[in-house]
This record gives sequence, C-alpha cells and structure tokens, in this order.
Amino acid sequence: MTLPYLLRLLCLCFACFFLLHLAIGAAVSLLVPAVLHRAERMRPRHATRVLLGVRLLPPVISAFVVLGLCAPSYLLLEPAATNEEVGWACLSAALLCAASFVLSIYRGWSAGRRSIGYVRYCQLVGRQERLPGENTPVWVIEGSAPFLVLAGILKPRLIISRPVVNALPSGQLAAALRHEEAHRVSRDNFKRLLLVLTPDLFPAWRGFVRLEKEWNRFTEWAADDDAVAGDSQRSISLASALVRVARMGACPQTAPLVTSLLADNQDLAERVERLLREAPEAEVAERQPLPALIGGLASIAVLAVLTLQPATLSAVHRLLEGLTR
Amino acid sequence: MEALGPLEVSVMEILWSHGDSNVHDVTQRLGRPLAYTTVMTTLDRLYKKGLLGRRKADRAFFYSPRWSRAEWEQKRAGEFVEGFLAAPETSGELLVSYLVDAVGRYDETLLDELERKIRSKRRELRRKA
Repeated sequence: MTLPYLLRLLCLCFACFFLLHLAIGAAVSLLVPAVLHRAERMRPRHATRVLLGVRLLPPVISAFVVLGLCAPSYLLLEPAATNEEVGWACLSAALLCAASFVLSIYRGWSAGRRSIGYVRYCQLVGRQERLPGENTPVWVIEGSAPFLVLAGILKPRLIISRPVVNALPSGQLAAALRHEEAHRVSRDNFKRLLLVLTPDLFPAWRGFVRLEKEWNRFTEWAADDDAVAGDSQRSISLASALVRVARMGACPQTAPLVTSLLADNQDLAERVERLLREAPEAEVAERQPLPALIGGLASIAVLAVLTLQPATLSAVHRLLEGLTR
Repeated sequence: MEALGPLEVSVMEILWSHGDSNVHDVTQRLGRPLAYTTVMTTLDRLYKKGLLGRRKADRAFFYSPRWSRAEWEQKRAGEFVEGFLAAPETSGELLVSYLVDAVGRYDETLLDELERKIRSKRRELRRKA
C-alpha cells in the first residue's frame, strides 16, 4: 500500500513500537520469576518500586527508541517528496500497535470514569468529618456496608463507612487510617492507573498479570509497614483492625483505582501473621530529587548524543527501509 | 466462576498433579514457605468456590479437585464469554458494581485463629512491658 510521507512515519513508529515492545516484553517476562523471587527478600516498599519499574520497562524503552532513534532517522534521512510502498507486515504490526493503544486508553478511561463516579457518589451520600484524634478529614458514609478505602487519583480521599467507624476502637481506627494514608502518600492509585494504561504486549493480552498481582500484594505490605513504623502496639492494632473489618464482611474491592483496607482477601492471614511476627519498620525515604533529576537528564543527554550520530541514524534508517518492505 | 489468585492456582496445580491431599501435604509441596493457616484458608476458599471436594479422615480434611484442569478451563472460558456478552453496562449495574464488585467472605475458623494469635501477642507484649 502506498502511503504519504507523514502517514508512513506514523505507520513505521507504530510498527517499531509493537515489535520492540513485544520483544522486550517477552524477554522481561522470562525474567519475571527471578525478579519475583528476589522481591520476596526485599523490603516491601523497595519491592514495589522494582516490580513497577520492571512492568513499565518494555513500553518505556520502546517509546524511547521509537522517539529517540526511529523518528529522527526517518525525518532526517528519508526524502520528503517520495510516496513509498508499505508492506503488509509493517502495516499489520502498526495496526496491532494501534489496537493495543486504543484498548489501553479505553481501559484507563473506563477505570478513571468509574473511580471518579465512585468518589462523586460517596461525596453525594456521605459527609466530611474529622474523626477524634485524626488530623485529616475523611468522608463518612452512612449505611450497612463495611468499607475503608482510598479513592481518587490526583486528589485521593479517605472514605469510610459508619459501621467501621463504630466498630473499631480508636487505636485500631487510627492504624487503619494510617495504612490508607500511606497509600495516599505513595500515590498508589496513580500507579494503578499507570499499570492500567500500559499497552498490552498483544491486543487484549496483557502478559504480566502475575507481576501486577504481586505488586498489589507488596503495596499492601508496604502500606502496613508505613502505618506501623516499627511500633509493636500499632502493629497489633492494625492486625486487629484487619481481622475485625474482615469479620464484618468487608468488600475487598469496590472499584478499579480504589485502594481498600482489605485489598486482597487472599492475603489476610499472611498480612496479619506478618504484622504479629515483628512490627515491620517503615522504609526511610531517601529522596534527593535534584541530584536524581540532574543525573537522569545527564544520562538522557549522553544517550541522545551517542544515538544521534550519523552512522547510528543511517543504520536505523536502513533497518526501517527493511521493515517497510 | 471467580478468577483464581496466584496462591490458589499453585494449590490447584498441586491437587491436579497429586490428587487427594490434606493441608499438611499441600503446605509441604508448595515451593515457598507459607503458614499452615494460609494454606488452610486457601483450600477452604477453593472448596467454597466449588472447585474442590473434601472428605474428613483422621480428624483432617482431604481435598480433591472436582474438575480436571481441562474441564475447569472450559467452564471458566464459557462463563466468562457468557457473562461478557450478557452485560450491557447500565448506570444501575455500574453503581451496584461499585459496592459489591467482590464481596469477601472469610472463614470464621481462620478469623478465630488470627484473633487468638493477636490476643497471645498482646499478652506477650504486656508481660515484656
């Protein structure tokens, strides 16, 4: 099929992204069991970072190569006036990539819509209150369903049902709220949205389900650690709160992009036993944003200088020519 | 039919390959060290989901899969497609799905056991203090 200059560029970018993403994704998925094995020995917060990084690696590298190499080499070396044939293989790869993008955008939009709808519904039927001994206001919902969740992506809100407020003694309620607050501070709902938006390796085939489930498990453990912060009393209070809310028959998951106190009902015994073994320490935040930012920008600049060499660009262009046919 | 979590899948794999097993057998055959109570809950949950049958012998439950792996996969795929095709997303259903997407029911025995452990830990802390 003959395509004009810019449409051919788009087609090539999509095709390259699809092939790279599939290849890197397949390679990463082979490493997943080893990564999960290592993650079991890490502190939960560190494990969440590693697993999220591994999950986002294929699309990030693919996007970097496409935008940093393929597009510049095409724009610089392809004569603008030509109308060239694009082979069916290239076209099919581009269409599969476009389908993956459409699906992931739809998934993200749908999850975001449900999440926003859930927050609006709770704000409609609930009331903002400052619970005794708590600084952060929470939304309290009247009714019989027991739940304690963090809902919302950019401005997450703590939402709790009246039966949970009434059932938990102050120490347990404080521990449970600290757990959800830890999710808010680490922006777990936003990270969940990132995962939902990550394109599939193949349209409608995600390929990293186990990794994402394990990430969820470690996120809960990390929030437990932050809530407890090495204090044995808090640890017992949080364990008691988990069991008490579970006994009330809490809904473990209410909507996508909503974090619940009992996020995964399969993990309850493991979480409680972990809290009772020893009060887990919260990981000390070692945030040095400026040096990290400067380091990141410097690495990108060095990579850009290395990759945008004429020899590299012409080699990539030859590969693109091969892919087009 | 509900989706299975990673631990549930591992347990099903063990039962499919070894047949009739009790909690102790499954705990030993699992690749990673897990608490007895965790495996017990998982088996109980699978039983309640209708995936396992169980019989009592020598004061312990022996669990066995109710379907072969192929039968289970066929049933699951069928139910998924059926449910997917028959679900126009109306606002009412959407609202209900917010609240009762997945209602967790916990095994009372497990919760009792966990509460007992919490009480014991609390006593231990008091003694130390």
